[in-house]
Amino acid sequence: MTKERQLLALKVVAGVILAIALLAFPFIFKKPFPQRMMILIFMYALLGEAWNILGGYGGQVSLGHAVFFGLGAYTSSFMLIRWGITPWLGMVVGILIAVAVSIIIGYPCFRLAGHYFAIATIAAGEIVGIVFLNWKLMGGAIGLFLPLLNESLLNFEFHSTKVPYYYIILAMLVVTVFIAYRIERSRLGFYFRAIKNDPAAARSLGIDLTKYKLIAMIISAALTAMAGTFYAQYVLFIDPFTVLPLMLSIQMCLIPVLGGTGTIAGPIIGSCILIPMAEYTRVYLAGKVSGLHLFLYGLLIIVFAVFQPAGLMGLIQRYRRRG
Amino acid sequence: MQPEMLIQTLVSGLLMGFIFSLIAVGLNLIFGVMDIVNFAHGDFLMLSMYTAFWLYTLWGVDPLFSLPICIVLLFVIGWVTYQLIIKRVLKAPMLAQIFSTFGLMVFLRHAALLAWSSDYRAIKETLLSGRIGIGGVFIPIPQLVASVGAIITFGLIYWFMQRTETGMALMATAEDAEAASLMGVNSDRMYALAWGLGAACVGVAGALLSTFYYIFPEVGYLFGLLAYIIVALGGFGSITGAFIAGIIIGVVEVLFGFLVAPAFKYVFVYLIYLIVVIARPQGLLGAR
Amino acid sequence: MALLEVNNLTKRFGGLVANDSVSAEINEGEIVGLIGPNGAGKTTLFNCISGFYSSDGGSVAFEGKDITRFSADQVCRKGMARTFQIVKIFKDMTVLENVMVGAFCRTTSPERAQQEALKTLELVGLVEKKDVPGGSLTIAGKKRLELARALATQPRLLMLDETMAGLNPMETREAVELLRKINAQGVTLIVVEHVMEAIMTISDRIMVLDYGKKIAEDVPEKIAQNEEVIKAYLGERYYARS
Repeated sequence: MTKERQLLALKVVAGVILAIALLAFPFIFKKPFPQRMMILIFMYALLGEAWNILGGYGGQVSLGHAVFFGLGAYTSSFMLIRWGITPWLGMVVGILIAVAVSIIIGYPCFRLAGHYFAIATIAAGEIVGIVFLNWKLMGGAIGLFLPLLNESLLNFEFHSTKVPYYYIILAMLVVTVFIAYRIERSRLGFYFRAIKNDPAAARSLGIDLTKYKLIAMIISAALTAMAGTFYAQYVLFIDPFTVLPLMLSIQMCLIPVLGGTGTIAGPIIGSCILIPMAEYTRVYLAGKVSGLHLFLYGLLIIVFAVFQPAGLMGLIQRYRRRG
Repeated sequence: MQPEMLIQTLVSGLLMGFIFSLIAVGLNLIFGVMDIVNFAHGDFLMLSMYTAFWLYTLWGVDPLFSLPICIVLLFVIGWVTYQLIIKRVLKAPMLAQIFSTFGLMVFLRHAALLAWSSDYRAIKETLLSGRIGIGGVFIPIPQLVASVGAIITFGLIYWFMQRTETGMALMATAEDAEAASLMGVNSDRMYALAWGLGAACVGVAGALLSTFYYIFPEVGYLFGLLAYIIVALGGFGSITGAFIAGIIIGVVEVLFGFLVAPAFKYVFVYLIYLIVVIARPQGLLGAR
Repeated sequence: MALLEVNNLTKRFGGLVANDSVSAEINEGEIVGLIGPNGAGKTTLFNCISGFYSSDGGSVAFEGKDITRFSADQVCRKGMARTFQIVKIFKDMTVLENVMVGAFCRTTSPERAQQEALKTLELVGLVEKKDVPGGSLTIAGKKRLELARALATQPRLLMLDETMAGLNPMETREAVELLRKINAQGVTLIVVEHVMEAIMTISDRIMVLDYGKKIAEDVPEKIAQNEEVIKAYLGERYYARS
C-alpha cells in the first residue's frame, strides 16, 4: 500500500473508533457529571463552529452572537409555553427569526470595518438583552420556566436520564460539522476565505461582498439558534442572563480562537479544553472564588491573541509542517 | 412634566456628559494614533476608581488628592499595556488585535471581582461635597467639580496636541506613522505615549467619578461601551468631536430615560451608535 | 461596435481632477497600452472603469451596455477583469486556491474550478508551484499569480496595472510573451506600464495620459515622436532644447 493509502486507512480507522467511542460513551460513563460535561462540550463546539463560519472563515468578528442563541431559545420556549407547540417546530421558527434578525443587523453593518463591526455587534446584543430584560411577555428578568411534560422525543424533554440529550446534541454537532466541511470545500468556502484575505481583490474577481457576508451570517445565526432551542429544552429554564449575556458571546468566540479560527477541528479542540476547565473551576471553586474561570479566560484570550493568533490548530499545523 | 424637572435632568445629563467626553477623548487618543480599539478602556476607568476608593478607605486620602496618583498610575498601566501586549499585536491580524484588548477587559474585570468582590462601594464624604442651587436647579458639587476637571483636562490635552512638539509628533504619527518616522519621530515611543496618555485621561475621569458614582468591578463595562459610541459619534480620530459627542450622549441618555423609560435609555444610546455609524461612518467631525 | 467605450470620463478628488473627460475606444482583440507620467491618472481610470471608483461624469459601455454605475464585482462578472498595481494575492491560500477563486466566477463546481485553475496555471507557467502558499512567491511569481487569477474569470477584456514593475529584463521578456499568448487566445488587453520597451513592442495602439487628460493616441512608433508626449515626460525645457 502506498503511503497515502496508509494514511487514509489510518484516518478511517481512527474515525470509526472515535465514532464508536462517542456513541458508546453514555453507556460506559453512566454518571450524570461526565454526561453533562460531554453535552456541554458538544454544544459549545457547535456554537464555536457556527461562529467560525462568520468569524473564522468570513472574517467578520461578531461579539454579539448570543443574540441568536437567545432568540432560538426564547422563540421555541415561548411557543411551547403559550401554545403548546412542539419545540422542534419552535426550533424551526426560532431559526427563521434569528436569520431575519441577522439580516437586519448584518446588512447595514457589513460595510463597517472590523472594529466598528465588532462594537456594533456588542451594541446589537445589548439592545436585545435590554429588550428581553424588560419584556414582561417573555418573563422579563425572571425568565421563562418551561413546562414539565412527559418524556418523549416529540416533547424534546427527558427527565430520568440525560442520555437522549447527549445523542441529540451529538447529532446536531455532526450536522454542523458536516455543513462546515461542505462549505469549506465549496465555492462558498473559497469566497469566504477570499473576502477575509483581501476584500478588494475578491471584488475584482466577481465576488459580491455583501451577499456572501450575509450568507455566512445566516448560516452562522441559524446554527446558533438551533443550539439555543436545545439548551432551553435541556435546562428547562431560560432568562436574559443565561442566554443573552455578553459573556456567552465571548465564550462563543473564545472557543474557536483558542482552537484555531478558520479550521473545522479548531472549535472542537477549543471546546474540549475550555469547557472542562470552566466546569472544573466552577464546580470546585464555586462560591468561594466565583469568576475564577472567567479570570483565566481573560488571561487565555490575551496569551493566545498575542502569541498564537492561529490558535492551537496553528500550533499543530506549524508542527506538522516542520515534521 | 414640570420645566424645572426637565432642566434639572438636562443639567445632570450635561455634567455626566463631560465625564463621558473625557473618557472618550482618552479612547480616541489611542484609536486616533494607532487604529486599535482599546476594549479594556472602561476597565482602566474601573481601576482608577478603585485606586481612589482604596486610598480613601485605607489612608483617608481625599479623591482630589488621589487625582495625581491616579493619573500617574493609569499612565503607567497604559504604557505597560502597550509594551507587553499591544506592541506584539501591531502587525497581527485584526482578530488578534481585537482579542488582545478584549481579553484584557475580561481579565481585569474578573481580577477585580476576585480581589474586591462584586459589592458596590462608595466614597461617602469628600472635601467638596454638598450642592449649590441656581434658580430652581440643584447642582451637586462633586459632579460640578468633575465636569470642571474634565473640561480642564480636555483643554490641557488639546493644548498639548496642538501646541507642543511632542503633541504634534503624536498627531503626525496618527496621520501617517511611516512618514512621521521618516521625519525622525519614533513611532514606538509615540504609541506608548498614546496609550499612557489615553489611560491617564481615564485616570482623571475615574478619580473624579469616584466622588459621586458607585464603584464596582462591572462599572467599566457601561462606561467603556458608551465611550466607543461617543467616539464613533464624534468621529474616530477627532478629539474635539469626541468631546462634543460625549456631551450629546450625556444629555440624550438622561433625556430618553426621563421621557421614555429609564430601563430603555441605553437602548437609545446603542441605537444612535448603530444609526450614526451606518449612515455617517466618519461621525460628526471625523476625517476617516 | 467597440468592446469598451469610455466617454468623457471624469473623476475628481476634492479639488483635484484625476481624470478629465477621458474618452477611448477599445476594439476586440487589441492590445492597447496606457502610459503617462506618474500621477497622470492611469490607475484612477482603471478604477473608474472597473467599478472600484464611481465616476463624477461621463460613461463607460462594455459590449454596448452601459456599465458606468456597475460595482466592481458586477464588472468582473460582465467579462472585464483587472490586476492591481500593488499585488493583492490571497496570502493564506495556495497558488491553486488563489486561481480557483477566479475560476469560481464562471462555475459553482469545485472540480471544474480546479480544472480551469490548473489549465490557467499551466498557461502562465506556475503549475509546479500550485500547492505553495501564495504569500511565499517572489514578486514576479505573485504578479503572474494575480494575472492567472484574473484570467481564470474568463474575461473578454483584461486590464493590467503595471504587471511588469519590478521585473528584471528576462522576466520582462517572459511577461511580454505571456501577454501575447493570452491575447492570441482572444483576450483583449489594456496594459498600463512604465517599462517603455515592453509596452512599445507589445501594443497595437498607445494612449497617453497627462494630468488627467488624454494627450495622444497613436501607434507606438508615432507616439515616441509625439511632441506632447515628450513634453509630458521630459518637460518643456528638454523639448525646447532638442
